[in-house]
Amino acid sequence: MSDRRIFVDYIARTEGDGAIDIVIGPNGEIKKARWEVWEPPRFFEAFLVGRKYDEIPEMVQRICGICPHGHHLAAVRAVERAMGVKVSRQTTLLRELLHYGDWIQSHTLHVYCLAAPDYLGYESVLAMAGNEELLPVVKQALSLKRLGNDMSVLIQGNEIQNRTSVVGGFTAVPSGSELRKIKERLKEAKDFAVSTVRLGAKVASQDPYPQLVRKCEHVSLREEGKYPINGGRLVSTEGLNVPDWEYPEWLIEKHVPGCNCKHAIVKGRDSFLVGPLARVNNNFDLLSKDAQAIAKEVGFTVPDFNPFHSIIARGIELVHAIDTAMELIDELGDPVYEEPKYEIKAGEGYAVTEAARGICCHGGRIDKDGVCQKWDIVAPTSRNVYNLEKDFEYFVPKLLNLSDEELTLKCEMMIRNYDPCQSCATHSIKVNLRREA
Amino acid sequence: MAKPKIAFFKFSSCAGCQLNVLNLEPILLDIVGAVDIRYFVMAKRENFEGPYDIGFVEGAVTSPRELMELKKIREECSILVAQGACACHGGIPSVKNFSGMTQKEMEQRVYTELWDLKSFPAQAIDYYVKVDAYLKGCPMDKDEFVTLVTSALKGINPLFRYHSVCNECKLKENNCLVLTKGKACMGSVTAAGCGAQCPSLGRPCEGCRGPASDCNAASLAKTFIDLGLSRDDVVRKFRKYAGNTPEFSKGAEAV
Repeated sequence: MSDRRIFVDYIARTEGDGAIDIVIGPNGEIKKARWEVWEPPRFFEAFLVGRKYDEIPEMVQRICGICPHGHHLAAVRAVERAMGVKVSRQTTLLRELLHYGDWIQSHTLHVYCLAAPDYLGYESVLAMAGNEELLPVVKQALSLKRLGNDMSVLIQGNEIQNRTSVVGGFTAVPSGSELRKIKERLKEAKDFAVSTVRLGAKVASQDPYPQLVRKCEHVSLREEGKYPINGGRLVSTEGLNVPDWEYPEWLIEKHVPGCNCKHAIVKGRDSFLVGPLARVNNNFDLLSKDAQAIAKEVGFTVPDFNPFHSIIARGIELVHAIDTAMELIDELGDPVYEEPKYEIKAGEGYAVTEAARGICCHGGRIDKDGVCQKWDIVAPTSRNVYNLEKDFEYFVPKLLNLSDEELTLKCEMMIRNYDPCQSCATHSIKVNLRREA
Repeated sequence: MAKPKIAFFKFSSCAGCQLNVLNLEPILLDIVGAVDIRYFVMAKRENFEGPYDIGFVEGAVTSPRELMELKKIREECSILVAQGACACHGGIPSVKNFSGMTQKEMEQRVYTELWDLKSFPAQAIDYYVKVDAYLKGCPMDKDEFVTLVTSALKGINPLFRYHSVCNECKLKENNCLVLTKGKACMGSVTAAGCGAQCPSLGRPCEGCRGPASDCNAASLAKTFIDLGLSRDDVVRKFRKYAGNTPEFSKGAEAV
């Protein structure tokens, strides 16, 4: 088990400051392509041992402020599996709605605030707002992001850290009338989400992005009959298809001598990609009708192995999230408060969710008093690091005609494609680019 | 008057407090227009060296590199603000300080290659440098952030609350979770400002905003025992978001 622990080493250190170190040899060959991260570790897996079962979801959502719900919901489900807790249909629906709200917030943040400025030639979304033509777009993006946040506030009391969501259910539920107000706003926001797909397709069609295709294994969840968000089986474009709780067995890491980063691979194969592009590739048939329609309109076909198309995949998922959230609100009707009821039992449980930026895995062992004995965490970004380094190795030689400044920006964009769990990591990256004579 | 130069920094934390600045969507562009954001790596590609008028620091200090940076930041910022539970009190990263394991034991539990690790007990930033203002909570409260920025623009002291979350619950006419449901709520010892967010939604306060002034944590700890909590449960309650503080330490040590 010590191997999997190292994984977490990597998550913690993926957050915050990092550096890309690329060395290009005299014949244009890549001598070194590495993403180095110095973020201090916080030791979640160590200090969770000895804490109470209900503190696990409360604490792990604090791993990442950008996708707290992905961590929280994976941990809640892992604890429930460990203790054999069953939750109501209403709780399941509310959890999905909560997580879709997070996707709307996170995808809008990523597309407009983190990725679009690169494609449109601005240093930030704030600079974009200074352009009169773009200002209305920025304002609409901020209001869509607000809508995602308002869904979170309505369901769990805060934009970021969960207040009401607990093991067994919720300590309070929103009223049907409040949910229906959200539905009205979702309806109004839909056109903008659709335009996001068109914007993504337009900016990603500029040179050199269409040429930057690299086939690799795309891993995501897949659920029968619905697009995956809070559960499902672990599947891939190379035929992986296993129950989610078996993730420790299939997604493993390999220590490469001479390199201090741990490389995540699919057992017996190679690096893999997680996130919206992988989800869309593996679940295109399960997207909402309108999400599929807009994808076809912009010429997006699966499987798509261009990581620069992840901006399109995020747009497609925005449309899908809005459609699905409206359906969930219809089905929820007028929620009634249900007291979370369960018995504390000893057990072991693992669960995976689809955080906005990819599969998020939690699990461990709880004793008969409800005290945590062991907890494993693997966040999406740590899955992607090895694959990202392979992107560098494959794409940089194709971009050698660019100036250092432009090539540096392209390398940063390769990282932002993955929307690392801490978006701060994407922007604080220092690129050391060295061309050897 | 020139726009105040603002900077945002992040240490050991989740970046949620910085995100909460971007979560000010309806007024974000107004706020940004009223100040000069010189350093904000989460949102901007172009960032500038100090000095700054106001520096916001998110996160606890857990490594030598962070400590060095913090000291430099202190010199560069006229007003230094601790942003969120981690910077104010140590927050969730400080849970490791009370895990019962040594730093090395924890490292061995999580990692295999220890040579690369340089981590020490998590501390609030005021353990090392003078702090001028605190934006408490996990995450920090957006409204308090706006209050602080607008007060700074006007050149007046921001009005923050020093009473407890309990008071806010009473103002909201909530049923008390301790008295009516026997739940272990930290509201009576925790600093107000969140509007009693959790108890208003049926969840006991977890103390994320740290101690209220003049709080009696030892007495609450004894109440928790009367409610049926074990000694370990009580210790866990007080050693979570602000376990480093002398006030909450009294609660943890009272049982």
